[in-house]
Amino acid sequence: MRPCSREMQGMNSLFNPSSQIPLQDLQNQQIQNSHFDPNLSSNEDFLEQMLSSCSWADPKSPWDLNPPTNLPFPTNNSSSNSAKHRDLFNETPSSNSDSNNVGFRNNFDESVILASKLRQHQISCGNGAAVSDAAKMMLPQQLLMAVARGGLSLNDDIDGSLSQGGDGSIQGLFNGFGAGSMNGTDGASNQSMQHFNHPQGGAMQSPNLGAQGAAATTAVMNQPQASGSNGGAPAQPRQRVRARRGQATDPHSIAERLRRERIAERMKALQELVPNANKTDKASMLDEIIDYVKFLQLQVKVLSMSRLGGAAAVAPLVADMSSEAGGDCIQANDNGGSLARTTNGSQTASTNDNSLTVTEHQVAKMMEEDMGTAMQYLQGKGLCLMPISLATAISTATCHNRTSGIISSHAPMHQSNGEGPTSPSMSVLTVQSMTMGNGGGDGFAKDAASVSKP
Amino acid sequence: MASKHTIATRHAQGIRARFASRFLRSLLRLRRRSNRFGGSQSNDEGIGKRIRTDRIKIAAYASMARAVGPRRTWSRALLFKLRNRARIHGVSRKRCLVSEKKRVTRNKVVVAISREPSRADTLRKLVPGGDSMDTCVLLEETAHYIKCLATQVTVMQSIADRLLL
Repeated sequence: MRPCSREMQGMNSLFNPSSQIPLQDLQNQQIQNSHFDPNLSSNEDFLEQMLSSCSWADPKSPWDLNPPTNLPFPTNNSSSNSAKHRDLFNETPSSNSDSNNVGFRNNFDESVILASKLRQHQISCGNGAAVSDAAKMMLPQQLLMAVARGGLSLNDDIDGSLSQGGDGSIQGLFNGFGAGSMNGTDGASNQSMQHFNHPQGGAMQSPNLGAQGAAATTAVMNQPQASGSNGGAPAQPRQRVRARRGQATDPHSIAERLRRERIAERMKALQELVPNANKTDKASMLDEIIDYVKFLQLQVKVLSMSRLGGAAAVAPLVADMSSEAGGDCIQANDNGGSLARTTNGSQTASTNDNSLTVTEHQVAKMMEEDMGTAMQYLQGKGLCLMPISLATAISTATCHNRTSGIISSHAPMHQSNGEGPTSPSMSVLTVQSMTMGNGGGDGFAKDAASVSKP
Repeated sequence: MASKHTIATRHAQGIRARFASRFLRSLLRLRRRSNRFGGSQSNDEGIGKRIRTDRIKIAAYASMARAVGPRRTWSRALLFKLRNRARIHGVSRKRCLVSEKKRVTRNKVVVAISREPSRADTLRKLVPGGDSMDTCVLLEETAHYIKCLATQVTVMQSIADRLLL
């Protein structure tokens, strides 16, 4: 069997440039799988053996895997014979893809076996086969294809179009073979026979097999569809283009590929927006996106909470916004009104200093009554108490780059309310620094005031 | 003032300025409304603050959606949801939740497959109006939504910085 296999490889090398489907492995496997008697010499007996040995009708239809398409393949009536041979070889990838776990339980088994037997017989008949032999070879070949088609059409699982196509395809194939092949048989067959002698220079492309098998199977599957759709068109299913990976002519796969590409480019655009987007995996990228959206929504929620104290003093901001044409500057000129309103303060301030003083007065007052409420009031404003020394240290550390207004005022208790026992050493310090367009990073550095009781 | 506002909301200004102006105006409106009902209302601990938080948050989202305009699917969906919520909120709160659920399920795919929610489904829940989008459109809307959320956060943060001075 080995010389036959090498001849097979030679034949494969002929078709490799066009198809890139490694057929050597296929044929080697099929040679092993087939129960072909190589010693058979007569054509008639050979045909009988082929027909008897092939196994029909795997009820599981492989057509379910690939959606039926009626794409008319480019037909080329000129090279009918080579196309026919190519057809035979096309059938083989399916079975080998089967062995490669593509999961393609095929009805092509029988046709594959027939094809392999045919090839072997052709080879065993010798390279300088007579024309008559070649002609006789064509006949079983045609019958093989016709029978294969008929076998396919026998399956009930195949959807209606295919079965109808199968019936029509037999006729079509016969016509095609009759019209195209038998006429040009002699010279073409001789040519093909000589091609069988082609030295086995084809590269082993077994890694491509699994990948190409999928593409090839779609092309192969399309073939009966195409033949069915063509109906009585002569020899059209023979000259179709075998699809490569990423170049499938199937409209479904084209649409899918377009969709995949669009999704990929959108993911790339998203990658630039989301930080920490160094993930190459699409799934983890989606996770990052989801987390980032949740984080942003949470930030909006938190910011709306921190707005409790200052939401009211918006009027001057609005005035400033409308007066400025430029975008980002929001100048706060008056926010004393908010403090007055929200805290039932008696004073109405119009400057920053006054607002701070008002805050401090309020805090001082509340601290008299209840420390808890004072702390809550401060928290609502986003303020805290801190010792003056720390505040000055922070202010000097952060004031060099930004325009930071640090307002520190000592408001001893006795000044603010003038009543009740107050500890003179307690100091309320309010430190606030303006940050222009800062992120949320050092939010706690701003608006910090803490009390230290001696 | 009206002309200045229209100038400020031209597209050349960018989404940031438009959002900022709308948000500030809605905050002003909120303050006026809360003050009309009496100053003591905003001093309520707990529920009062939560309501106010929610109102500010809703105002932020609404102003962002209006600043974007009806150009985007998510902004349209967000405006629709807020409008319905506002309409129903006037009637009763309980009915609001129920009708929102009904509305949401109507848009969802009817086939009830009990499978683990894939990442695309989670994203659909996050992005407003994400139910009736296929994956490709969903990703595009997510990108624009993220961009607008980021500007929203920066504007709100700068407002908070200024206001608390």
